[in-house]
Amino acid sequence: MSTHEASVSRFQALVAGLAARAPAPSGSESERVERAKGVFRKRLNAGMALNLECCLHCGMCAEACHFYESTQDPKYTPIHKVEPLRRFYRRELGPLRWLHRLVSHDVSLQQLEQWQELVFDSCTECGRCDLICPMGIEISPMIGVMREGLTEAGLMPAELAGASAEQIEDGRVLGAGVQEFDAMVGALRGQGVDVPVDKDQADVMVLTTALEIRMWPDALAALAKVMNASGANWSMRRAAFDASGFEYTSGNAQARRAMTRKIIDEAAACGAKTLIVPECGHAYPALRWKAADEHGAPLPFEVLAISEFIGREIDAGRLKLRKSANGGSMTYHDPCKVGRLGGVFDEPRTALAAMGVELKEMESHGKTQYCCGGGGGVMLIDRAAPLRKRAFEIKMRQVDDTGADAVVTSCESCRMNFAIGGDGANWQTPVKSLVQMVAEHLD
Amino acid sequence: MTLLDFARGPAMQWAFVIFGIGVGWRLVGMFLLLRDRAKATARRDAPVSDGTRAIIMRSLPAKELEHHIVFQHVSGYAWHIGFFITVLFFGPHMPFWKSILGFDWPTLPSEVITVVGAITIAVLISLLVRRLSHPVLRVISTADDYISVIVTILPLLTGLISYANIGFNKETNLALHLLSIVLVLVWFPFGKLMHLFLAFPTRYKAGADYGRKGVAA
Repeated sequence: MSTHEASVSRFQALVAGLAARAPAPSGSESERVERAKGVFRKRLNAGMALNLECCLHCGMCAEACHFYESTQDPKYTPIHKVEPLRRFYRRELGPLRWLHRLVSHDVSLQQLEQWQELVFDSCTECGRCDLICPMGIEISPMIGVMREGLTEAGLMPAELAGASAEQIEDGRVLGAGVQEFDAMVGALRGQGVDVPVDKDQADVMVLTTALEIRMWPDALAALAKVMNASGANWSMRRAAFDASGFEYTSGNAQARRAMTRKIIDEAAACGAKTLIVPECGHAYPALRWKAADEHGAPLPFEVLAISEFIGREIDAGRLKLRKSANGGSMTYHDPCKVGRLGGVFDEPRTALAAMGVELKEMESHGKTQYCCGGGGGVMLIDRAAPLRKRAFEIKMRQVDDTGADAVVTSCESCRMNFAIGGDGANWQTPVKSLVQMVAEHLD
Repeated sequence: MTLLDFARGPAMQWAFVIFGIGVGWRLVGMFLLLRDRAKATARRDAPVSDGTRAIIMRSLPAKELEHHIVFQHVSGYAWHIGFFITVLFFGPHMPFWKSILGFDWPTLPSEVITVVGAITIAVLISLLVRRLSHPVLRVISTADDYISVIVTILPLLTGLISYANIGFNKETNLALHLLSIVLVLVWFPFGKLMHLFLAFPTRYKAGADYGRKGVAA
């Protein structure tokens, strides 16, 4: 059995059957297109207009994309992935719309169907292309608008639509609902790990993820141990325990808003001043950067990634870690959503240094790191497996080039995707969770 | 009215009118889409310095990303610099600049301008050929991309022809050169030449957006 086989088997069992739950698209062709265009109309703003107006079609963004780099297929050029949005803008919102209506075709359902693969299967919204464009065009937020539009048109890939339906209809993510949460908390308490839930007053509210509940209970135990060791007055909330909503990546805006609202309300209910996002890449930017827009004002609490919290607590002297006698060498994979799109780079490295890890950085790390290829829900899409594998090869090569004994990261989706990619390639390098490592090194 | 009179007179005047109104229309139409600002608390609240930094840094090589795009960077710089040297430092252009600015500056020898102009045309043609042959560029190119590069080549080409005094007679050559500039001015608001006005605001926005997340973009 390979290093990653067991994790992969468990994950496959969790996601089996999701696609079958996907609802059939509703409405006529023209109604579906109009719904997509309604999203485009609502979400396009002056910043995106600048982006769509300013593109010189130089093609440099292709060179930043792991899907293009690994396949050399020009359809994966990032700016090409937002072509329907550009067409819509030019024909219906742009200042020269009267001219463009004369010389271009309208967005059609066939075009949106064709673009489904380009915005869901072959883009992880990692933002690397945003950094290379000589014009400063930010493509990744426009991919988000495209996803939302396609979702409204009933074109969300079946696996993501199934996961979304599970969450909306059953209140569960990958089978993790409040009963499973309660059972997991009970099991951890049985092992002597204190997990406070629904305290009347807590300074810090902590979220967990479906993957922690269903696959990696050790990660949840580690999270609780770290929080306890920090001395914080913290609590989880039964009514909003899960950060891992697929709404953050699937493009279902209504469900995303409902989920965000619930988390904000629960934080307010216990008077939390800080919200800790666990090792969940997608939840971090959703809560750190976008939730305030949906709330309509700055949030009444600060939002920290767990790796950020750990780094700060170490710096403040509240969290003490012992150095490993022989910690070995490791390389750190910056999760796109926490690093490049979140700004958290130093704190996880502070933690690794505090544990005495010899850090061997990859050629691309920090803000220009490569995505592992599974983010943005791509990991769930079955038909994207061959493409994902190609993209992962870049990451695997960069890890191997460091000569490190293991990879450590602070995102469970990344961890899972490393396991899937590694299993497929018979790649034996261990992939570790930063929080679990920290828990093992508590002084 | 001769062709030269037409080119110098109504054609050029209308070209400036279309240029002015078109650029204004396009900028105003775009900025009317301004909506709510981001409400999340910034990790770093320095949009002016982050935005300005992006304007400068996006002109420079992108370090580890650069090895893939070195040709685009070098060729882009080469033809822009060549184009502006030709426009700003060719002796016969100086009376025009002095008439609208009220002052002049030293010019370069015509032989130097001829060489620079020829190199600039060669670079632009190589970029056009690349656009026609590179798989990525073929997928993403639009009519605007082809029209804009041809419209940019024409003033250089007609200028060289006019200076070399080949082809038509001197007066017609000059008229064609002026009409090629008319074409640039008329096409400008409709195509990607607008990036002259849009590139810096777009870079600024990227710098400010990423800057507030604590990422130097």
